[in-house]
Amino acid sequence: MMLSVSNKYAMRSLVRHGRRTILSVVGIGVGCGLCLFMIAFVRGESKMMLRAAAESGAGHFRVVPAKWNETRENDLRLIDWHQARKLVASVDEVEVVTPHARKEVLLGFGTRVAGVEMVGVDPNTEQTCNRLARSVVEGHYLDGEKGTTVIGKTIATRLKVEVDDELMLTTAGADGEMAGAMLRIVGIIGTGSRDLDATICQVNLQDVEQITHLSGAGDLTALVKNPKKLELIVKSLSAKLGTGYSVVTWEQLMPELASGAKVDETWTRLTVGIIMIVVFLGIASAQLTAVLERRKEFAVLSAVGMKGSRLIQIMVYEGLVLGLVGAIVGLAVGVPSAYWIATKGIDFTKMYGTDDMSVSNILIDLVFLGDFGWWLVPLAFALALTATILSSLYPAWYAAKIDPAAALRVEH
Amino acid sequence: MMTNVLVNAKDVTKTYQTAKVEAKALRGLTLEINESDFMAIVGPSGSGKTTFLNLVGALDTATDGSLNVLGRDISAMSKRQRADLRLHKLGFVFQAYNLVPVLTAQENVEFVLELQGIGDNRFNRAREILDKLGLAEFANRRPNELSGGQQQRVAIARAVASNPKLVLAAEPTANLDGENAEVLLQMMRDLNENQNITFVFSTHDPRVVAHAKRVVTLVDGRISKDETKSQTKSSL
Repeated sequence: MMLSVSNKYAMRSLVRHGRRTILSVVGIGVGCGLCLFMIAFVRGESKMMLRAAAESGAGHFRVVPAKWNETRENDLRLIDWHQARKLVASVDEVEVVTPHARKEVLLGFGTRVAGVEMVGVDPNTEQTCNRLARSVVEGHYLDGEKGTTVIGKTIATRLKVEVDDELMLTTAGADGEMAGAMLRIVGIIGTGSRDLDATICQVNLQDVEQITHLSGAGDLTALVKNPKKLELIVKSLSAKLGTGYSVVTWEQLMPELASGAKVDETWTRLTVGIIMIVVFLGIASAQLTAVLERRKEFAVLSAVGMKGSRLIQIMVYEGLVLGLVGAIVGLAVGVPSAYWIATKGIDFTKMYGTDDMSVSNILIDLVFLGDFGWWLVPLAFALALTATILSSLYPAWYAAKIDPAAALRVEH
Repeated sequence: MMTNVLVNAKDVTKTYQTAKVEAKALRGLTLEINESDFMAIVGPSGSGKTTFLNLVGALDTATDGSLNVLGRDISAMSKRQRADLRLHKLGFVFQAYNLVPVLTAQENVEFVLELQGIGDNRFNRAREILDKLGLAEFANRRPNELSGGQQQRVAIARAVASNPKLVLAAEPTANLDGENAEVLLQMMRDLNENQNITFVFSTHDPRVVAHAKRVVTLVDGRISKDETKSQTKSSL
């Protein structure tokens, strides 16, 4: 394609001041690369936190009895959890769905006791959606055998028990009477977080039904394939399940985590905004200098009949070229760093002195990995082009306002 | 034979106002420029030559009086309309050539054609103009690869590329030696005679005055003399 003379003029004007153009492009590239790195890191961190939250037992969403939203009582049970589970599992976007029944209990061994929330699970599906259930360090996970349990390492240490020991479980039954059962420990879970290990006690769902005399599951916890579609899935399921059920998302279950993610996102946007404003001002200054240097040239072009709109077009074209090259430099800077953060990550182990960290009963991996993908390419171009085109507008407007008679009068 | 009036200035004044000073560049100037004129405007510095050319070139507007250029009242035109008039009907030649330094001679001429909206054919048309003016060999050279005389000839090619009725030239020979000035003036004279393009120069250069068919002398923003060559000759 042949360039128009206007575009040749714009291109060659950039080449004419090579050093300034190179510095501008490097400025755009570094700014853009820095933004890509930050966005990649925060996107990865958000995804990681969401995955950690979802896989620490909360799921991406839960189906609970409608009343649960008001009372948050663990004794509430779903109307027909088998039917509801089938319905949830039939949704294409749902990866796995597993039932839970929760009850506060006291575990006793000899003279030692520990209070904990016992969770009744389906051993066949629990391990696929709960990373805690995959962290068995002694024995094995539940296999469906009646009267068995897996407990966290901290509880085991506190009660001084080991695999095959029998725990005395005491709780209040549905009728308010005390209920109890003996449970054999088949596995001990060690997540690396002492706090989290002090909260784990899982048994077979049927055992919870038997101990509490409350039949069925209290909630269905589900993971979805693509969390971006969560809102749609929840909306559609809410309509299908009807009035006796309520679908709550991880954001509603863990508002502190959701707001933390939003704060992170806001900070990132703010930082990216500040970087882009600095880039914007730098480019605007360089472009304005270029206009002032070419004041007489523009006056001559205006004298031969060039309209202000064409001058603006030329300046914006220069901005566009700077933006395109800046985006490529930005990708050259940002892609390797984003790839590094996505594959190696930032290891916070030393800072926290442990391999894992738990926040709000969520097991967080301390190696923070960034996000990496094709999205970096359009984002780099969008950032660089927005900054350069916008920053060209004022110098372009200034160029269009040059009074040719006044500018040429200097010559005479 | 009836002659067309291209420029009709009546009682034109132009005042430049700065914060502290008011400078009157033109004081009630009345002048007609006719089709086919080859006219030199002479006068001392500050006499209003450049101001008058700027007004006729629609680069500026008069403070008072009326100025019609090619039948259009300049003061009643918008900035955009004046740009259109310059693009389609007027040509400019400057003392310092003022070619776009990053474009070749060919592209400098093409630029005007592109602004006029001429698409595919503009390359050939620009080449044709350069050929006619004997500048074909310089077509692919940038201004810094041309001598002053060559640059000014390319500037004339650019000025006439849009087929203007009127070319305004501010001190076109001021930076040229005798030989180059002669070549340039002959080129403009040929364009004037063969293509009926009207030329108006502001100048101090006696070489230009010698070629001019009409000489208008300005002093303090007023016309002090308006002579055509036949009158000048007869009076001598």
